[in-house]
Amino acid sequence: MLSNYLIGLREGLEATLVVVILVAYLVKSDRRHLLPRIWAGVAAAVLVSLAFGAALTFGPRGLTFEAQEAIGGTLSIVAVGFVTWMIFWMARSARGLSAELKGAVDRAADASRYSMVVVAMLAVGREGLETALFIWAATQAAATENGSTTAPLTGALLGLLTAVALGYLMYKGTLKLNLSKFFMWTGAFLILVAGGVLSYGIHDLQEAGILPGLHAVAFDVSGTIRPTSFIGTLLKGTFNFSPVTTWFEAIAWVAYVVPVMTIFLLKVTGGGKNAAPSAPSTSLKVAA
Amino acid sequence: MNRRLSLLLAGPVIAGTTLVGCTSNSPSGAGNGELTVTSTATECQVSANSAPSGTVVFKVKNTGNEVTEFYLLASDGLRIVGEIENITPQLTRDLVVQVPPGKYYTSCKPGMVGNGVQAAFTVTDSGKKLEATGDDKALITTATGLYASYVKDQTDKLLSGTESFVKAYKAGDFDKARALYAPTRIYWERIETVAESFGDLDPSMDAREADLEPGQKWTGWHKIEKDLWPPKTGYTALTAAERNSVADQLLKDTRTLHSRTRTQTYTVDGMGNGSKGLLDEVATGKVTGEEETWSHTDLWDFQGNVDGAKVAFENLRPILTKKDPALETSVATKFTALQKVLDKHRKGDGFKLYTELSKTEIKELSDAVNALSEPLSKVTAAVLK
Repeated sequence: MLSNYLIGLREGLEATLVVVILVAYLVKSDRRHLLPRIWAGVAAAVLVSLAFGAALTFGPRGLTFEAQEAIGGTLSIVAVGFVTWMIFWMARSARGLSAELKGAVDRAADASRYSMVVVAMLAVGREGLETALFIWAATQAAATENGSTTAPLTGALLGLLTAVALGYLMYKGTLKLNLSKFFMWTGAFLILVAGGVLSYGIHDLQEAGILPGLHAVAFDVSGTIRPTSFIGTLLKGTFNFSPVTTWFEAIAWVAYVVPVMTIFLLKVTGGGKNAAPSAPSTSLKVAA
Repeated sequence: MNRRLSLLLAGPVIAGTTLVGCTSNSPSGAGNGELTVTSTATECQVSANSAPSGTVVFKVKNTGNEVTEFYLLASDGLRIVGEIENITPQLTRDLVVQVPPGKYYTSCKPGMVGNGVQAAFTVTDSGKKLEATGDDKALITTATGLYASYVKDQTDKLLSGTESFVKAYKAGDFDKARALYAPTRIYWERIETVAESFGDLDPSMDAREADLEPGQKWTGWHKIEKDLWPPKTGYTALTAAERNSVADQLLKDTRTLHSRTRTQTYTVDGMGNGSKGLLDEVATGKVTGEEETWSHTDLWDFQGNVDGAKVAFENLRPILTKKDPALETSVATKFTALQKVLDKHRKGDGFKLYTELSKTEIKELSDAVNALSEPLSKVTAAVLK
């Protein structure tokens, strides 16, 4: 029961974190009218994942292992691009919240509304198929006669609910922060999350044999931090931390987090630059 | 980032990855392709240590008290052929894999740590071909369809060219016939391997005097060639009746070829072998100057063979990209190199005569052909992988 619960929690956290921050941002910057788009993106991702997962589980055809890994891996890497764009977009808008600039920011938000939907979709959908396949397998187990067991399904759903509840608490917590702190913390946090998502995507592609180096391990702390433990689950669910990390994953993580974090901190703390929202900035180049 | 860019980025990724691979959910043998695996806290019990090749289903049940994972590993014990994760206690999850015959390892990882509990596993040859995945099928259909269209198109041009050629020749307009000879034969040379697959047509249409079997009646292109470019001594020109007969026969054969290619279908291995076959034609006939003994227009034929080989290869390329990108690059590079050498000998609308080539130039052509032959011979095996 507990292990099912932890899987639900892990997958749930991976999906909700980015969405929570995006929602908090929109609420904080008085753009509640954009929220429906985020929910639409989330709903689309959930429905597509569940439908796709059901078709593969109960239908006549499955998906090859390589294809499953390639989907998860590719979507993860694309998600990193979008999340990075979102971090800098938020940071850029943060500086232009004085009244006269608000209009310009709103126009930017309108122009980016589809990107926001895509961010929400990818954040939830990249792991969606894997989770859906697990949920359906658990459902099958609950529905069959022999060894019928509802524990996996109940556990996983409870875990998902917990993830949503934690997300809500985080949302409430971030709302209490003042604006500049909010951007600083959520942005830095999201960069760590995105670095983890990048590693995760690379690991999937390594498992599928699309990228090399699956067995060149940088470190293995699975003896200390067991992946089945509560702490292992939380680390995996938030930062995509994997107790056994390959060199390729580790290098990619560092190569992403270090420069992006540096640029981000320089921007948020002013960096001596005058960054009007309308001025084209390096952040857009990063996202493109 | 605007809407177009977002969709541009997200659309193809999602669409592309969903097309990567499908597999059938039902095992190959009646019930014998389905195995049960019981993963306990310390053990990994597989119901059999072998299965016939094709679709194999492992139903993995976790009877331990921690989450487990199940892997099917390749013979090196490292490469993952298939895996299924997140098998929680009491849960059964299925791993469906398409496997060719060979040695494998099964492995359970209770608690998702360590190297897991491995055991050797053999896949015997069931004689069944692995079904092409939906994606491969689509690529194959496209490739063979494109090639069929190409062959039809070239045969159309060959037929209308042959009609003009035959008309001029029968009318005794030899200058016109000589001008039409090589440009028309290019269409034939482009699809030569297809024409050769209809065994009866090739000897009738394209036999060279030197290759005639004892008692074989000489007909076709090269008989007319000799009559248009007669040797200085010891040759009697054909009579009008003989000319008509050989010309009518050639046109009739071309019409037969034309009608047969309307409904002809092709396979990827046929295309791969055909591409290589065309290049062998170059190596054995055109580079040596034996094909066009009298007219010396071998380089036109050379270009035709290379064109046909290249089209077959280009049509196979999307499949090759997936299966062996290194080979694809190698073949493409060598095609370009060969064409460069051949282009040196262009003259007006056509080419230099074979007799105008120096020994060094012939050697250079021959080397470029051989360099391409080597990787091209591997294409068929690669697309069937």
